[in-house]
Amino acid sequence: MNKHGNLLENLAWQGISRRSFLKYCATLASLMALPPTAGRAMAEALARAPRPSVIWLPFQECTGCTESITRSHSPSIEGLIFDSISLDYQETLMAAAGHQAEEVLHKVVAENEGKFVLIIDGSVATGLDGAYSCIAGRSNLDLLREVGPKAAAIVAVGSCAAFGGIPKAKPNPTGAVAVSDIIRDKPVVNIPGCPPIPVVMTGVLAHFITFGSLPELDRLGRPRAFFGETIHDRCYRRPFYDQGKFAKTFDDDGARKGWCLFELGCKGPVTYNACAHVKWNDGTSFPIESGHGCIGCSEPDFWDAGGFYKALSMPADPLKFVAGAAVAGAAVGVAVSIANRARKGAAKAAHETATLADLEK
Amino acid sequence: MSASLEKGVRVLKEVIDAPIASYFSSCVHCGLCAEACLFYTETGDPKYTPIHKLEPLRRVYEQEYTLLGRVAKWLHLSKPITDAELAEWQELVYNSCTLCGRCSLVCPVGNDIVYMVRKLREGMAISGHAPNGVIEATRRTVELGSPMGVKLHAVKAQMKHVEAETGIPIPLDVEGAEYMVQLSSMEIINFPEYLSAVARIMKQAGKTWTLCSTGFEATNAGIQIGVSDLARVIVSRIVEGAERLKVKCVISPECGHAYTAIRWEGPNLIGRPFTFQVKHILEVLDEFRAQGLIKTEGMETDRLSFHDPCQITRRGGVIQQQRNLMQMVAANFVEMPDAGKYNWCCGGGGGVSANEEADELRLSAFKRKKAQLEAVKPDRLVTACAVCRTTLEEGLEHYQMDLPVLGLTELIAEHLVESGDGDRKGA
Repeated sequence: MNKHGNLLENLAWQGISRRSFLKYCATLASLMALPPTAGRAMAEALARAPRPSVIWLPFQECTGCTESITRSHSPSIEGLIFDSISLDYQETLMAAAGHQAEEVLHKVVAENEGKFVLIIDGSVATGLDGAYSCIAGRSNLDLLREVGPKAAAIVAVGSCAAFGGIPKAKPNPTGAVAVSDIIRDKPVVNIPGCPPIPVVMTGVLAHFITFGSLPELDRLGRPRAFFGETIHDRCYRRPFYDQGKFAKTFDDDGARKGWCLFELGCKGPVTYNACAHVKWNDGTSFPIESGHGCIGCSEPDFWDAGGFYKALSMPADPLKFVAGAAVAGAAVGVAVSIANRARKGAAKAAHETATLADLEK
Repeated sequence: MSASLEKGVRVLKEVIDAPIASYFSSCVHCGLCAEACLFYTETGDPKYTPIHKLEPLRRVYEQEYTLLGRVAKWLHLSKPITDAELAEWQELVYNSCTLCGRCSLVCPVGNDIVYMVRKLREGMAISGHAPNGVIEATRRTVELGSPMGVKLHAVKAQMKHVEAETGIPIPLDVEGAEYMVQLSSMEIINFPEYLSAVARIMKQAGKTWTLCSTGFEATNAGIQIGVSDLARVIVSRIVEGAERLKVKCVISPECGHAYTAIRWEGPNLIGRPFTFQVKHILEVLDEFRAQGLIKTEGMETDRLSFHDPCQITRRGGVIQQQRNLMQMVAANFVEMPDAGKYNWCCGGGGGVSANEEADELRLSAFKRKKAQLEAVKPDRLVTACAVCRTTLEEGLEHYQMDLPVLGLTELIAEHLVESGDGDRKGA
């Protein structure tokens, strides 16, 4: 990639006009619920960005997140945002290897202490002192403890880094935890998803470059702009849910008509993510559009949530219990009512017509 | 005498019905009923909170008719009702409640609190915890025919007096008359102008009417003391009289609880529908007005206000009629704040005025009415209930307020356009 000159020149070199860059910034700003003027500010900031140093550390991961962000949209404008940052360490992308690569890492950390952005994908193995996942002879845990405190901001990319993800799924043999379980003294931006949506990540970086701060986060450390609504809230199949029209199997008439996949286990109602409106593959579609329910991959512990094909509110056993309790309650009610009738009847039968003599002792 | 705690508790068990069970289960303890009760607002004493007055009834309900309450009773964890307790509650159930029903009106969950007070009185009376004044009024009604001891010969004397005054014959026991007119003993003794007014109005309206020698008294102390068996004896006199005379309609006089007794409790007490209608005199007068049967002339020009009797307006639903009638004859009619169904009680209903023990409390509760009157400063006050009228007069005198009180029926009668055959002059 051409790393010389400013961003706009780079973009022009790649055939992207200033106008489409401005459009991108405006879209990004509106996606993040920023005021319209923020689009221009963002464009200006990005255009003359001092190219903050970014270090990307891969831990217990599958490289799916890297694939998502760097490849699936390439050559998209999101990918080019990386040209406004100095991605100094990214194992998958960097040319350097071995001792050379490690040297770069330590040099960048030392030179940019307190200024660089640390991106992490993958969970942190804590079992056996972190020995389950090592790079250059050092455990991820060790590395995170050393580098983390020196970063200006930490972004946990993907469900593994954000919540522990699949490595943390039962029985969690490696003792995997989320980045935020280790780094407790500074905010960690979580961008969950398996993988996360590329624009969410570039949006967070653009926000950091433009405003020098992190976007507003929710209680799980996710940017509110992208994780403020559920998939269900924005799903194009929502009208069918509201009408009670559900596909019962993946090949029935309802499925063909595009009815709601709730009964087939869609986790859309409890999953906060931007898939339904930002979409995937350059805005092509998202899983529900392809006929499969949401599996809730951006929610904590999604792998252990009881099966992808089990409907959310149809747990069979508790319902049986509730029905039993209702029957028992009704039986007690009937019994009490019969007893009360008898009691009142007895009082009535014992009625003695009151006379004036009954008014005084 | 045979009143006993045991009998009282049995009666309470008997009177608790589905409405009461649902009322006690739905009470949210918000306390809004306190602010609706003049005995609370004028004393500030929380024991006068209406729902609290029902505590003995609530305890019987809980201990006898709820699962947990029965378990607790079985384990001796609950406190049984005692005679001492009922004695303590006598003041709350009789002295500080006029059965005015304002608490029922404001209850946000729709509990008819006054219905429950009425039922609690059943048990209170049978356990010997009714006030002497109310017991004596009941005794006189049952034994002599009227709470004030008025007998038929007193009514006949009154009739003669009115006949002489108006020149209109007063019919007695006329079979087939359209209306059977009731009187309250207060009217027979203190306010003879009522009978005279009715005679003149009926004459102008051209309606047939009659008094009944066996059922002239409309008041029902059995309702006030809360003994249905006695209330039934009293109301049966009217029902039998009306059915014997085959009248179409019985007119309840200017008396609040008499209307409740015959109109609402009556058919329930005797256990069947009446063969005749029951109307309050205000309803009848307004019908006559609407049909153009009565014509009035001249207007009162001083400032008049109207005191709505609770049993007629709030509990009885007669709200607009008296206003239509006031407009007929009063040029300067002013409404008190809270007039209509939210009107404040005079403090004397529900047996309170017959209860000497309650005199002091009643007079302090009257401060509420005083404040209402002071807000509009009328020259005269009109009402349609003999008990309200007496209570108002007593309260006004106590607080040295110079404000004459009169009945609406007589006010209307004073303005009738009368033909020359009577010797009365118009107002």
